[in-house]
Amino acid sequence: MSAVEFSINTLKIFLLWFSIVNVVPVMLWVERRAAGLIQDRPGPNRVGPFGLFQAIADVIKFFWKMDPVPKHVNRFLFLIAPILSLIPASLTLAALPFADKMVIWGREYQLQVSDLHVGILYMLAIGSLGAYGILFGGWASNNKYSLLGALRASAQMISYEIPLGLAACGAVLFFGTFSLRGMVFMQDGTLFGGLLPKWGIFFQPLGFLIFFITSLAETNRVPFDLPETEGELVAGFHTEYGSMKFAMFMMAEYMNLATMSGLMTAMYFGGWHIPYVSDATLLSWLGGSVNLLAIVQLGVFFFKLYTFLLIYVWIRWTLPRFRFDQLMRVAWKNLIPLSMINLIVTAILLYFWEMR
Amino acid sequence: MDLYLPIAILFIIGAGAGLVIIGLSSILGPRNPQATKLSVYECGVTPEGSARIPFKSRFYLIAVLFLLFDVEAVFFFPWALVYRESVRTGDAGLLFAMLIYMGFIALGLVYIFRKNVLELD
Repeated sequence: MSAVEFSINTLKIFLLWFSIVNVVPVMLWVERRAAGLIQDRPGPNRVGPFGLFQAIADVIKFFWKMDPVPKHVNRFLFLIAPILSLIPASLTLAALPFADKMVIWGREYQLQVSDLHVGILYMLAIGSLGAYGILFGGWASNNKYSLLGALRASAQMISYEIPLGLAACGAVLFFGTFSLRGMVFMQDGTLFGGLLPKWGIFFQPLGFLIFFITSLAETNRVPFDLPETEGELVAGFHTEYGSMKFAMFMMAEYMNLATMSGLMTAMYFGGWHIPYVSDATLLSWLGGSVNLLAIVQLGVFFFKLYTFLLIYVWIRWTLPRFRFDQLMRVAWKNLIPLSMINLIVTAILLYFWEMR
Repeated sequence: MDLYLPIAILFIIGAGAGLVIIGLSSILGPRNPQATKLSVYECGVTPEGSARIPFKSRFYLIAVLFLLFDVEAVFFFPWALVYRESVRTGDAGLLFAMLIYMGFIALGLVYIFRKNVLELD
């Protein structure tokens, strides 16, 4: 790899990472405006037009706040916990296929950090490391609220890991590959003579439903935000955190949310494909320019990703939260058996489909 | 190597961003420590004893169950990867193998339901 290629690749990785980090300020604004809309109040509307600069104002305020390290905490773990939750959140986006490829100076660059052969396994594995940041943060804080929040968070995250893995396994079973890029390529085209786009959701409806519910729990969102129930635990595992260290936990949470949305887009909603328009047709419309095609694909991918994020916000301000025992019951008694049934049904249907 | 080098770069970007953010916020923020600011966050009362209290052993049980079931779930992945190719040749062996294995997992699930392991009250 030459120096030019290496620097272009590094720039590409940074830009892809930055595009996911950018979800955080956008969501800070969207979440509060949508909350206002749903609860029939204006929401933030003072900083800039429609309160658009509210997120920037928030970040500035976070930076200029005092950043105390309380005396009773375990200093090392307290400082390292926000970084430990930010690193897995950054690493998981490596396998997301944002768009096909760009050609710069005669060299092809895939718009994906790395097309791993074990894409889905990698994302599940690194995604579960996020529990360490929360657990360390909660334990190091030396506060009863934090400890309880961290315990709940880890119990919840490991319980929902199993249905998440089994639901993703259904998609692997159908597509026959671990590579997310390969999955997106297989979703190009239409079904039943042009009636439906050839998306994963039409083959794995139950799998998608389980994956979606589980992703809410994995990212600690309402209705599964037991680790930070304001009514019982103040703020859960980040009670003792302030300033930018608190904001880093929030960043990690929103980045995980964005990666989960991207994963669902790639696995069940056709990734970068526009419904009913195949890649080849689109390429001929754009005059055969691969780079233009990649930009359109990026737009489509992020449109789908942000649609999922909007659905998350909508759910957050609509549903009440579960009780902790209900949460565990949903995971073990409903989601795990359902995802096993999904696997069995998919396997049997695939058998008869291939035997035709 | 080409597959995992980008991930190392991504790791450096992520960790670097974390360190820069923590460094910047400790430089930019004011320093005005007071005894009350540095005490345990509580609603006016002084907390009793250490916060590292013994907690419910059910959390430990959940961790053990997670280990068991996650290891079992991981075995599905290689099977799922080769399943379609295998049945295309008309061999139903993998289907029945999976059904038997799934039966064992279902037995385990039924057992923990009957033992009320998951009743967290």
